[in-house]
Amino acid sequence: MHLLDVESLTKRFGGLTAVNNVSFHIDEGEIVGIIGPNGAGKTTLFHLITGFLKPDSGTVKFKGENIAGLAPHKIVNKGVARTFQVVRPFRHLPVIANVMVSLKSPRGARKIEWLKTMERKALDLLEDVGLTELMLEPAENVSHGDLKRLEIARALATEPDLLMLDEPFGGLNPLETEFLTKSILRMHLDEPSRGILIVEHKLYALMKIVQRVVVLHQGEKIAEGKPEEIAKDKKVIEVYIGKAM
Amino acid sequence: MVLAPLRRVYSSFAAHVIDVPPRLLALLFFLLVLFFPITTQAKSVLLILTTTFVYGIFAASLDLLVGRTGQISLGHALFFGLGGYVTSLLSINLKLPLWVTIPLSMLVGVLVALLIGFPCLRVKGPYLGLVSIAFPIILVSIIYYFRDISPPLDLRNIYGIPNFFPSLTYYQQGVAEYYLTLLLLLFSGIALYKIANSKTGMIFVSILDDELASKASGINVTKYKLMSFAISGLFASLAGSVNAHLVGSVGVGHLSLSLSFMPLIMMIIGGIGTIYGPIVGAFILQILDMYVLTRVVDIPSSWHYIIYAIIVIVLIIKWSTGLARFVVEDVLGELEEAREIEERGRHIWKRYKRKEKK
Amino acid sequence: MIEALIIFGAISGGTLALLALGFTLIYGVARVVNLAHGTLFMLGAYVFFALTAPPPFGVFQLGLLPAAVVTVIFVGIVGTIFYRLAIHPVVGDLIAVLVITVGAILIFQHLIVIEFGSKGWPVPSLVSGVATILGVKLKYSQIFAFVISLVLFACIWMFVRKSKVGTAMQAIAQDREVAMLMGINTERLYMLTMAISSSLAAIAGILIISSTSGRVDPYIWSDPLVMSFAIVILGGLGSIKGTLIGAFIIGYANVACIYLVPGGMTLGAAVPMVIMLIILLVRPKGLFGKKIEFE
Repeated sequence: MHLLDVESLTKRFGGLTAVNNVSFHIDEGEIVGIIGPNGAGKTTLFHLITGFLKPDSGTVKFKGENIAGLAPHKIVNKGVARTFQVVRPFRHLPVIANVMVSLKSPRGARKIEWLKTMERKALDLLEDVGLTELMLEPAENVSHGDLKRLEIARALATEPDLLMLDEPFGGLNPLETEFLTKSILRMHLDEPSRGILIVEHKLYALMKIVQRVVVLHQGEKIAEGKPEEIAKDKKVIEVYIGKAM
Repeated sequence: MVLAPLRRVYSSFAAHVIDVPPRLLALLFFLLVLFFPITTQAKSVLLILTTTFVYGIFAASLDLLVGRTGQISLGHALFFGLGGYVTSLLSINLKLPLWVTIPLSMLVGVLVALLIGFPCLRVKGPYLGLVSIAFPIILVSIIYYFRDISPPLDLRNIYGIPNFFPSLTYYQQGVAEYYLTLLLLLFSGIALYKIANSKTGMIFVSILDDELASKASGINVTKYKLMSFAISGLFASLAGSVNAHLVGSVGVGHLSLSLSFMPLIMMIIGGIGTIYGPIVGAFILQILDMYVLTRVVDIPSSWHYIIYAIIVIVLIIKWSTGLARFVVEDVLGELEEAREIEERGRHIWKRYKRKEKK
Repeated sequence: MIEALIIFGAISGGTLALLALGFTLIYGVARVVNLAHGTLFMLGAYVFFALTAPPPFGVFQLGLLPAAVVTVIFVGIVGTIFYRLAIHPVVGDLIAVLVITVGAILIFQHLIVIEFGSKGWPVPSLVSGVATILGVKLKYSQIFAFVISLVLFACIWMFVRKSKVGTAMQAIAQDREVAMLMGINTERLYMLTMAISSSLAAIAGILIISSTSGRVDPYIWSDPLVMSFAIVILGGLGSIKGTLIGAFIIGYANVACIYLVPGGMTLGAAVPMVIMLIILLVRPKGLFGKKIEFE
């Protein structure tokens, strides 16, 4: 049984078919990347899997259970966590409280009984992403790069079995990109059974991390395979270069 | 440990007219209020402040819902009026003692909040504002309806509501009511403040800031919104029921839009989201209303509302963040990628150009 | 009795359609939920009264038609000025707009109380006489209101569909960003839409009040507001077709309530409110509203 099994997923908006009959899967412990030019439907796919949009047809099976159409918070509590392409911090809460919100969810609160432990756990998570000094800073004063890391800390707080990152490298400078790459690999080592699904534009950063790549174009899957294979795939190259023309 | 800085951070965010008073000033003010009854022998003067305490509770209750959880409610008078109606009907008709009827009306407040919470929570933004206005209007319609189909059942105004302390003299009543209501204000204010600054309050703020992100953090947003509604309704009906016994009457005027607007004014003047801000706002508004506008500059009461409304409008415009993105477009914003904008643009441009040619 | 239901339901629907149209337009184009819409309705009725009444108010004592025209222009201007001063700075912040328009309700209501007192005043009918259709007695002014309402509704609808300005309005309603990119002056169009919306409210005020109760008081803003947003939510925010159909549904529901429910007359606003709540629970986008997903 796959960790995540997406079958024939389709979503239309009026005349536009954003996701067209897409199927793929992830197994435990895999790191899979989803790439494709702008408008390919990558983020829509994310929304469909995490319950922010309801598919028109198709199924999304997580650990064998069909979660398509469930409410987002229920999906999170089953073990799927996501970050957002455009960061969505809780502006008025300090950084550590941003993480504590996730820890207040049913899944995040498991094994945490007393106040102390929740703060402690939040601190640990912040340490993992390197945000400890900013812990009391209101999120609205924090830089974009740091907020990106906060997004990941919040997602990890719910101890997901499937971690979905939506363009985590967006807007990061080379140093931050390096740091994030190392963090993701470390996350993988810490939790070997966790699946990681990454949507990303910055191909050079992505290709170094993932074991398998799925390529989307105009809502359809046009290729799938190892990073080296994909890099040489004619169709994929056409789609990316064709865009530039 | 974390919640102390949470409080500090939070104070800096809320739109302020009045800054957080230094502890000393607040203490001084409290002592002033505590010993005020010594200065006067007139119950009517005491009643002014007592009413202010009531409005303080009312405004603070709305602040939790609007200021901390971000659920715009334009019909909060529903709970105020309902609280008054329930306690008066129970105490007049069933002759139940006040310490029974008031908690019962608070219970009704919570139940009604949960009941109307459901339609309210299914909708966002503007819809929520519209829906919240609807309920007091429906209730008033129903009251008028009952009067029409059966004249004895005229609930438009209820008089003769029993006082808290029927056995005391008029002035003694005034003093007793003063301290009782002050106590209730302190209790409510502290309770609401503590809730707002608890972990649950933290979740409320997460809903205010970014409901979507809150859901993505695994929070059952609907459950927390209902909670906020219920707590808010609880204290608002407390305010309404106490008010009924203070004033001795309740009526459809207590379900009016003007009354729903009052706590909003207090919130905006005193500081949205702070809980204590609206309470201060209640005092400021009362002083403005009773002294400045009545004794210093004699202005008829209709103008009061006009002035408050104008103050509110000016303040909101001053503090608005300018061209905030439309909620709808914000939601769809994630789905818009460059190619899609281009696509749509071409389509609309074609139609527009066709019109131009004609 | 069925005939009475059919006829009065239609009249109610037609006049309500004109009233709700203004509300839909300003929402569709500018995303403004104008809670002061009922107040503009009331203003229209009051100004009409002031212009046609004998002294002490009637300084002018205009004829009915000129008074109506002046009223509509006046309220149109007032609405536009109010928009420019109070709403324009916060367009886009839905909550601020809501609170501000509620403030406007209070301001106008109390200004009217100050100027005219809280008692009611009579408003003359535009057309006098009584007719009998299908065995039902009704006033000519009601037929007149019905016809004018539908004619105006059709005019506005065609204006929006066919004219260049109308198409620009549609463009903004569909996609504000793209419209701006194409060089459409959204600010001016918002003001124009507000002018139209206020004028329609005023016309509805004159027509409805003069043909039904014949009386103005400072609280007549409430029912029209309630009807407007019940209709618009039922029909779908921003859909003109939906407004028309929603208006007739609500109109018939109101009339049915009056005839079929004992004492239904006083239930007044409750019926459309209940309908609105049911719609919001069952089908939030209304009959023809734009689909908004993502939560």
